Amino acid sequence: MNRDAASHVSGGVLRYQLSTINCQLAVNNAVLDTAVYAETPEGILIELRPAGIVARFYAFSIDFAIRIGIFFLASFVSAGLGMLRLAFLFILMFVLEWFYPVLFELSRWGATPGKQALGLKVVMDNGLPITPAASLTRNLLRFADFLPLMYGFAFVSMLMRKDFKRLGDIAAATLVVHQPLPVPKPAQQDIEPLAPARTLAPQDQAAIIALAARASRLTPERLDELAAIAAPVAGAEGKSGPEVTRRVLAVAQWLLGKR
Amino acid sequence: MTPLKFEQLYERDWNELENALQRLRNKRREKQDEKPLSGERIAELYRRTCEHLALARARSYPAHLVERLDRLTSDAHQAIYQHRELGLNRLYRLFAVEFPRAVRAHAPYVWVATAVFALPMLIIGLLVYYKPELVLSVVPPEMATMYEQMYSDEAESIGRRGAESDWVMFGLYIRNNIGIAFQCFASGLTVGIGSLFFLAYNGVFAGAVAGFLTEKGLSSTFYSFVVTHAAFELTAIVLSGAAGLRIGHALLAPGRHARAQALVIAARESIVIVYGVAAMLLIAAGIEAFWSAARWIPNAVKYTVAAFSWTAVLLYLTVQGRRAG
Repeated sequence: MNRDAASHVSGGVLRYQLSTINCQLAVNNAVLDTAVYAETPEGILIELRPAGIVARFYAFSIDFAIRIGIFFLASFVSAGLGMLRLAFLFILMFVLEWFYPVLFELSRWGATPGKQALGLKVVMDNGLPITPAASLTRNLLRFADFLPLMYGFAFVSMLMRKDFKRLGDIAAATLVVHQPLPVPKPAQQDIEPLAPARTLAPQDQAAIIALAARASRLTPERLDELAAIAAPVAGAEGKSGPEVTRRVLAVAQWLLGKR
Repeated sequence: MTPLKFEQLYERDWNELENALQRLRNKRREKQDEKPLSGERIAELYRRTCEHLALARARSYPAHLVERLDRLTSDAHQAIYQHRELGLNRLYRLFAVEFPRAVRAHAPYVWVATAVFALPMLIIGLLVYYKPELVLSVVPPEMATMYEQMYSDEAESIGRRGAESDWVMFGLYIRNNIGIAFQCFASGLTVGIGSLFFLAYNGVFAGAVAGFLTEKGLSSTFYSFVVTHAAFELTAIVLSGAAGLRIGHALLAPGRHARAQALVIAARESIVIVYGVAAMLLIAAGIEAFWSAARWIPNAVKYTVAAFSWTAVLLYLTVQGRRAG
């Protein structure tokens, strides 16, 4: 199959008509990435990063501990209630069992404390905040995910899907996603900007600027190593060292628009 | 255009949108001195930012810039397109229109669920009535004795093991009964088998206990106890089973939809029934704890109220919300 035909086929897999840019984005990442793209009516793709089984397991464990903690605390505090105590505890147990996640998901955080601790959030498939109906659906169907024992169905479902949905998520059309971390901004360094030694494609420009943004978080040795890869850009092909690094960072400043 | 220039040129728009969204988020918490932006202005800024994002991506602008626009558009998208479903109006509409309508829309499932629940109940009930020892194949001997005591004429409150207060039983009924209904619904995901099992199991159990106690001559205490809250409780269990069957059916026979899509639709439509079921079981728990168990109410009154409850529930499910637009 020649290249055109291949790209034609992969284009056909994407059922929706995306703008060329969006299409490229989705196809490029489709190979390795688990990212899901939700398209808005404005034709913008919103990137959602589904959370995998490990992160969700940790979140669940934290929530489980919190639930048990709440129950013990409540049974301790309610000791003076007399006859009403048992009634209170039964109802609390019911609420913790079925509605603990619902209450938190519908709050402004969109996630239980366990999920918040791991930077996770529950959203609809289209990236919008979760609706009450969807939250209830995914959490009532948790019982089916629990079958046959110890979340067996949930495990199988999550391992088989690229977007790591358990059965409740499939039925409710929801997604557990990582909340995006802020990307560091390249510092406005006092380096004299330097024009690149050759014309650079947009992706290459982006890579060099991204390196400059990470510079402050890398050890000098590692920074030199990485900068050496981009040495040709600074007119220093085959060389490496702090001087090359300085020149590459200077090129980054130029690419950002300093003249 | 260089990234820096691009940023300088449009940053004012982005800041304005960011501030507007921030203010939307804090709307309830603090008094505002500034007038909030109009919806039109927000929509305009949002569309413009969408364009900027597309440009930034196409030109491979630095990650921090794309990321900022990404987050901004996604936040604005959430604020603009979200729809609020909570509130008293919605709650009123749910019980005045949507729930009874959803039940009628699921009529075939409701009939199947009724049959799967009621037939085993009747058959096992009659069997146990005529051959009382059969009850032991459903419940263990200690439990049978316990039930006998619970509904005996000496029991202080009907249907209880000891002297638990009404409130304790209320809590217990909520936890157990609503839990069972939720399980009955959720296990519909096992292509309906789970729901069928829970329906039949509860039917068999209820039938066995009823047959057993009738045969022991305790029918007057037993039936006067169960008949009122049964209007809500049994109906609710059957309805939750019907909702589960709907989900199972969508998985088995998705029709013209993809299986996952059929499941989403089935869940969205049947969850409305589960709301109603939860409310009905809450009522049932209240009646069972505070009314049914009371000795001081004469049986005649209980039967009258029961007849009224059954009529009300059935009328509600069949007539309510038919005319509303």
